[in-house]
Formats: sequence, C-alpha cells, structure tokens
Amino acid sequence: MSVLATLERAKRPSPTRVQLVARVAGALLGSYAFGWGFIALGVAGGSRLMPFGEAQTLAELLVFLVLVACLCWAFAVRSVALVWGVLAGAGALMTLAGWLLSGKAV
Amino acid sequence: MLGSFRLSMTWLHTWFGLVLGFVLMVVFFFGSLSVFDREIDRWATPSSRFEPQPMPSYDAMLAPLFAQLTPEADELAAAQARLGRPLEASLPVKNYGAYTTHRDPVLELYAEFAVDNPEDPDDHVHGHVTIDPRSGEVLPHELKLGSEFFYPMHLGLHLDWHFIGYYLVGFAALVMLVALVSGVVVHRKLWRELFTFRPGKNLQRSSLDLHNLTGVLALPFHFMFPLTGLIIFAGLHFPVTDTMYEPLARAYEQGEVRAKGLPVAPAGIPAELASVDAMVAVAKQRWRARGMPGQVGYLTVTHVGDANSYVSIFRAGSDRVTLVGQGVHFSGVSGELLHEEPPAPAAASVKDFLVGLHLQHFEHWLLRWLYVLGGLSGCVCIGTGLVFFVNKRKHQHARRGVSGARWVDALAVTAITGMLVATLAILVANRLLPAELEQRGEWEKRSFWLTWALSLSHACWRSAPVRRAELSPAWREQCWAIAGLGSAAVLLNWLTTGDHLLDTLAAGYWPVAGFDLVLLATAGIAAATARKLGKRARDPSARLASHAPAALDDAEPEAAHG
Repeated sequence: MSVLATLERAKRPSPTRVQLVARVAGALLGSYAFGWGFIALGVAGGSRLMPFGEAQTLAELLVFLVLVACLCWAFAVRSVALVWGVLAGAGALMTLAGWLLSGKAV
Repeated sequence: MLGSFRLSMTWLHTWFGLVLGFVLMVVFFFGSLSVFDREIDRWATPSSRFEPQPMPSYDAMLAPLFAQLTPEADELAAAQARLGRPLEASLPVKNYGAYTTHRDPVLELYAEFAVDNPEDPDDHVHGHVTIDPRSGEVLPHELKLGSEFFYPMHLGLHLDWHFIGYYLVGFAALVMLVALVSGVVVHRKLWRELFTFRPGKNLQRSSLDLHNLTGVLALPFHFMFPLTGLIIFAGLHFPVTDTMYEPLARAYEQGEVRAKGLPVAPAGIPAELASVDAMVAVAKQRWRARGMPGQVGYLTVTHVGDANSYVSIFRAGSDRVTLVGQGVHFSGVSGELLHEEPPAPAAASVKDFLVGLHLQHFEHWLLRWLYVLGGLSGCVCIGTGLVFFVNKRKHQHARRGVSGARWVDALAVTAITGMLVATLAILVANRLLPAELEQRGEWEKRSFWLTWALSLSHACWRSAPVRRAELSPAWREQCWAIAGLGSAAVLLNWLTTGDHLLDTLAAGYWPVAGFDLVLLATAGIAAATARKLGKRARDPSARLASHAPAALDDAEPEAAHG
C-alpha cells in the first residue's frame, strides 16, 4: 500500500491528446505484435521439445494471459516510447527468432 | 501513464470498459441465451417440440436422406461470384456429416460439395437439411432462433464480412479480461465489496455497489469465459501457423493423418459404403472397453462414394466437462477399424477441458442454470458500469453544458433495455409471421434489427433530460415495452400452438415451459422497474436522492473509480 501511496503523491500532468493516441495505438498494436511473436517463438522453440501441435496449443493457451499483462503494463509505464519499443520491438524480435529457429528445424 | 499505477488502471478500466462495454453487453447476454439455445429452438419451432432423440440408423434412415441433399442456392451464388464463372450443373459430393446432442429432438445433416477451384483445392459448398429422427421426415427450412440467430450473435454479432464481428468480439473479450484485472486494482477492498449493496442510496452509489458486487462475486466466471472463448478462436486471432509456418503446419497435419492411417485424398475409384450401423456398434464397444460408454454425437463420411472413403464416429460429450470426441475411424469400403484416437497429450487435454468448460456439452441442468446466472451477472456488472459512468458525470456535464453523458446514456439504454426489446420482438415476430411467408427467417431477423434501431432512435430522442442531470424517460418506457412484449410472446405461444403454461408444466415439457416462465419473469421485473422509475420521476424527494452531487462520495476510496 505504501508504495502505491508514494506513487500517488507523485502526480504528473495529464497526457496530451497526441500522447494518449500514441499510447493507445502502441498498447494495441504493440500487444498484438508481442502476442504474435510469443506464438511464433513458442511454436518454433516448443516444437523442438514436443510435437508441433502441442507447442501450438500451449502457445495459444498462454498468449491471451500474456496480452492482458502487456495491455496493463502499456498503461502503467511512464514513457510512450517504451510502450512502442518494448512491445513492438520484442514482438518483432521474437517473430524473427521464431522464423530462424523454424527455418533450421525444417 | 497518470503518475500512479492505480490511476492509470482506472483510466484503462473506465475508457476501454466504456467503448467495448456495449459489445460485451451483447456478448454476455446472447451467450447466456445460448446456454439454452436448443430449448429456445423448441419454443420458436413448434413442430420440433418432442423429446431429444439418439442418432438414428445410418443404413436405414440417413443414407437415402444424404443422397437427396443438394447445395444451398445462396452458397452456390457465393461460389460463382468467388470463381467468376458459372458452376457445373451437378457438383460432386465430398463429405457427409450428422450432429446431435442430448438436447436435440431434431437432427441436422449436411453435405459438402466440391467446387472446382484451382486456387483452393478444398473449396466447397454445403447442403443441409433438418429431419425428424423418429420418422426420417424432412422438416421445412426454418430459422432456428436459438442456435442459428442468438448463438451466432454471441460469437460474431452477425457481422460476417471478413469475420469483422468475430474480431470485435475477441477484442471485447480481451478488454473484459483487462477490465477485470484493472478493476481489481481499482477496488482494493475486494472482500468488503462482496457484502456491500446500498440500493437506497443515490443512483451513482448503488450502481457502483452492484457493479462491484457482481464483478467480485462472479469474478472466476467472468474471467474464464472471455479467456476460454479467446482460446477457442486463437487460430483466428493469431493465424501464425496458417501464415508464416504454413508449410510446417501442413506437413505436421498430413503426418498426423498418415499416422492414423486415414486417406488424405480420394482414390478416384467409385466404391460402395459398407454398413455404418455395424461401425457404430464397434465404436460404442470401444468406448465401453475404455470405461466411457456413450452415444454418437457426430458422424462423418469423408470421400463419399470413393474407394478411399472413411467413416469417423465421435462420442457425445454428455457426461463430462472435457470435450473429447474419442473418435473411432473406419474404412468406408471394408468397414474395418482404421484408427482409434488415443487420449490427448498434456496441452491438448488442458485445451479440451477449457473448450468443454465454455461449450458445456455436459448434461447437468443445475450447472446449466448457474451458467445463465453467471452470464447475466456479467450483464449486470457491465450494465451498471455504463450506468455509473453516466451518473458520475451527468451533473458535471450539466453544469458545463456538454452532452457526453447524454449520448452515453442513450447508448446504454439501447444496449440494455433496447437489446431486450429487440430480442422479445423477434420472438413475437416468430409467432406472428405467417408460416407460408417467403423467407420467413429473414423477416424474423429484420424485425430484430429494425426494433433495435427503433430503440436507439427512441433512446436518443428521449435523452434530453440527461442534459439537466435527470433520468432519461427512455429507460422507463423501454421497460414497459419489455413487459408488454414479454407477456405478448407467452400469450402468442399459447394462441398459435395451444401449448399454454399449465399444459407444458403438467407435461413436464421444460424447454417450452421454462422459456415461457423466463419470459413472464422478465416481463414482471421490467414492469416493476418501470413503475419504480415512474415513481422516482414523480416524487421530488426520490429525485433529490438521485441528484446527490458526486462530491458526496469522494471521501470513499472507490470513488476513484471511473
């Protein structure tokens, strides 16, 4: 509680309209990219440990919980740039990693 | 975003909840109705009011009926448009299927006909027919109101263009999960919310109490349903294996099919089908041997009329939550057993359980009713959220002369009472439209959308008092419409079918008796609500209570909400 209270005291000015649009867009598109990357990497990585279908099912069972965390985080974090950078960036990196892993698997 | 985690979560909860709340209202409400979709079908299709039937004999009854199936005209037209050329006069049949549950008196059969499309080798159109499995009689094509209108509304809002409704529902489901998590952050005193409801206080206070109470009380239900719904459609929302891993996924699937010993393609050599009844007997024996005796829920014939044809028999999931088919596959020509599906591996079993939890094929009427109550409590939670949004802001908006609260209130009327009015209107239309009317089902649907559009216009037209921070009379008037239409539906059911409540109750025919009772209860609650709203509008002291300024609640921590 005390952490929350401390945080609450550190009130900052409301975001401008542009900042808000940038954050909502970053949260939605970034989370989607992150979810896509999560599945791409999960399927490619997981299918080295288990059958392809199991890896896909496992990734699909988890991805929506990951998305909920992404969306909440995207609105909790201070900087809009961080939202775009982390979510979209990690999404792209995971997609690429999955793609490379799957290419070697073939 | 706003300096504190809790304020940021409040912003997220308020604004995403508001924008997607209207969609969520529809999804939760029609999802609740879908729990009893087959029973609503019975109410709306009087010729099908008899007891559920097991899968009839394939050899004696279904085989000749399948042979008569022809492609649907609208699917043929769509396929012609897709290909840009006329189709052959008669299309070769690919597959047959029949599906039933422990709640289905009638049986639906379908066939898939191959369409020669070089771009998509699997391209096909459907033909289907509904039969009375007691006699084999083909029933006329009628709109199955529960399973063909309310249920698809729950899944995809009937916005079929590019699956846009499915995406919207999926996004709304994700927002529901986010709203639950952020809602828990906003309301720190979860335990206290469970026991707090002050209906006598002002509307802002009591709507928030009810929002918190229903939200916390059914929290596990409200979380599991959007989540499992999303998992069911995961492949639609994230088509990763259909796009970037397409070759890998295709190779894996074909390997699976080959491992089962099932022919991937037809041989091109015509051949007769062996006795399917004998295969059903073997399948039932296999299920018994595994300690899970059961009935046939789903039966398919793949590569119909070909030497490579095979028959798949799946078990109805009436006795467990987990949705396992326990499929047993047979060679269509020799009738020998090709493959018996083993128990699913770990991740797939978890998914089977979660999917079964959402789709509830099990036979347990008390649980079924708890699903309805859970879904309706979701509606109450979402609806009171919308009402709270308006009532928290209307005084401020009235002072500043802005009309935001007014339009949100009009939309809330449309999404809450208007949705009920439209639902009851389609039931009334179902009983009133003449049986011989051309495209009767289309007219039923039109009555639904038209009534809903009318309720939107009415809600907007009557919303002016919200600008003065007063209650919109549209709430009261639409409650009266619900009371009138609900009673009318019960009365019309009696007049047009002769099945009045005393009869159906005495006979214990619950699909119709239960739905009539629900309609009467809905009408009663709506009438009581309308009277109460009327009293409040006339009584100045009650008006004062609903006008209590928002500042009153600022001392309480929950007032940070929205």
